[in-house]
Amino acid sequence: MTMDVEHVARVQPPDTVDFPVTVGWTPAAMAVQAVLSLNTPVHLRMVIEGHDPLLIDFRHHAFSWSTPLDEFPVEAVHTRLETVPTSADAPPFFELPGQDLDGLLWEMGINAFGGGPAFWLSPGERYRLTRWPNLTQHSHNLRQVQMIAVLGNAYASTAELAKFAGVDESEAQRLINALSLMRILTRSAAAPAASMIPQTAAAKRQSLFSRLRKRMGR
Amino acid sequence: MSTGLHMKPDVVEAASALLGEMKDAASSLTYGALLTDDGFDVARYPVKADGERFAGMASSMQALSEAVAHELKIGDSEYIIIASGKGHVVQLRVPGKELVLSALFDNDATVGHALATTRQFAQKMADLLR
Amino acid sequence: MAEHVILFTGPMGAGKTTAIQSLSEIEVVRTEATNSERHIVDKATTTVALDYGEILVGAQEKVRLYGIPGQRRFNFMWTILKKRAKGMVLLVNTDAPDPIGELLFFLKEFRELYDKGGVVVGVTRADLVEGPSLAEFSDALERTNPGLVIPVFTVDPRKHHQMQNLLLTLVVNIEMRAAFGMAGAR
Repeated sequence: MTMDVEHVARVQPPDTVDFPVTVGWTPAAMAVQAVLSLNTPVHLRMVIEGHDPLLIDFRHHAFSWSTPLDEFPVEAVHTRLETVPTSADAPPFFELPGQDLDGLLWEMGINAFGGGPAFWLSPGERYRLTRWPNLTQHSHNLRQVQMIAVLGNAYASTAELAKFAGVDESEAQRLINALSLMRILTRSAAAPAASMIPQTAAAKRQSLFSRLRKRMGR
Repeated sequence: MSTGLHMKPDVVEAASALLGEMKDAASSLTYGALLTDDGFDVARYPVKADGERFAGMASSMQALSEAVAHELKIGDSEYIIIASGKGHVVQLRVPGKELVLSALFDNDATVGHALATTRQFAQKMADLLR
Repeated sequence: MAEHVILFTGPMGAGKTTAIQSLSEIEVVRTEATNSERHIVDKATTTVALDYGEILVGAQEKVRLYGIPGQRRFNFMWTILKKRAKGMVLLVNTDAPDPIGELLFFLKEFRELYDKGGVVVGVTRADLVEGPSLAEFSDALERTNPGLVIPVFTVDPRKHHQMQNLLLTLVVNIEMRAAFGMAGAR
């Protein structure tokens, strides 16, 4: 798919990020985070090898991509990332409704940063959920559900979350990155440590949640 | 438009008249109601009573009694009796209709008499609606 | 026998009976009667007492699923069923006459189940009809109940897998709230 040269030349100023070819989603996640947090009036257009371009219209909280999210290419080869200026009265980037942007933010957040913290997060902070993601729309596992439930009820750092939920720190970090990118996480340097009513590992295995999921074959 | 029997003026009138007759036939009748299967009050004795809540409850009770009969595999629930210190509630379906007759009799009536009266008037209501 | 009682609430037509059928391992006990008000909700029948289903978790443990009748005139049943339950699945159909109003109404009406244990919200028929977006449901919850963070998912109550997810999310939330000392406070 070639770049739409005419369209970019018409729009002032043509802001194409000088973009080295990269594998994976980290630079893309950084670009998305920048647009979301600065509220820059731009669309994003990502060119990915072997796929049609991925278009993001932030104003309408939507994306357009022919690749379905359940075939999300974790090792995507990004060859180009363009910002396309827009304004409040400009038409949408593509025919609406497109797909809900949250679905893409989830996948990007989970798969960017290689299990380490997203670059916009600071060490020593604790996190708490402000809103649940619509898990029916995102492919997820039950460990993630447990972690989200922790964050819905307590402030936790990545390390604490991993401990409370009984998962690896990298898995906890990926979830925090995704929720942060989706802007449904509060960050606090000052929140005190939460304490969980102590449970032995055996007690955890005995929880209704574990027994019920086993019964459901999940 | 609502399909409910409680919305049909001729049914409401007939039901109301029937309950009046029932009271004439059994002076021990303290409260009587005809209600739809889904808990709408069609008519009641005394006429001025607020029958809405009772109609809802009676329909729940009717449905539960039928669920119990089904669960125990004993056929249909033919009638329900609630016994209390102050009298008996007797409840049963109007045969072939989506209507329930529920009546409270004071202790001047025997249970047998209360049941017989209620059956008789349920059948009369069915005949009226034919 | 250890028992966990979950209540399914929400307006008529939201899909409570269907949801319980998707989850129950026994044939669901239903108390349906012919609907006199098809001009209001176009359903042939309506629940007049309760729905009842079960999941057998272990030899000595069950999850009991109760569904309320959605219409206000049966609210005496709500009082009876509320007492038994430790958590609630609140289903609202996108095409209800005032879906956000219904959500807020049932959350308020059954608030003690949130306080005791937990609540999850399932928005049904979202893919089939026009109506408020999921974000609008969440916004309304946040506006009227600041600080309340409860799962709000779109669900198809006919889909076993989706209903399982919703139920598991409820259960894990009830347990986490208890683990962090959040439940039981009012």
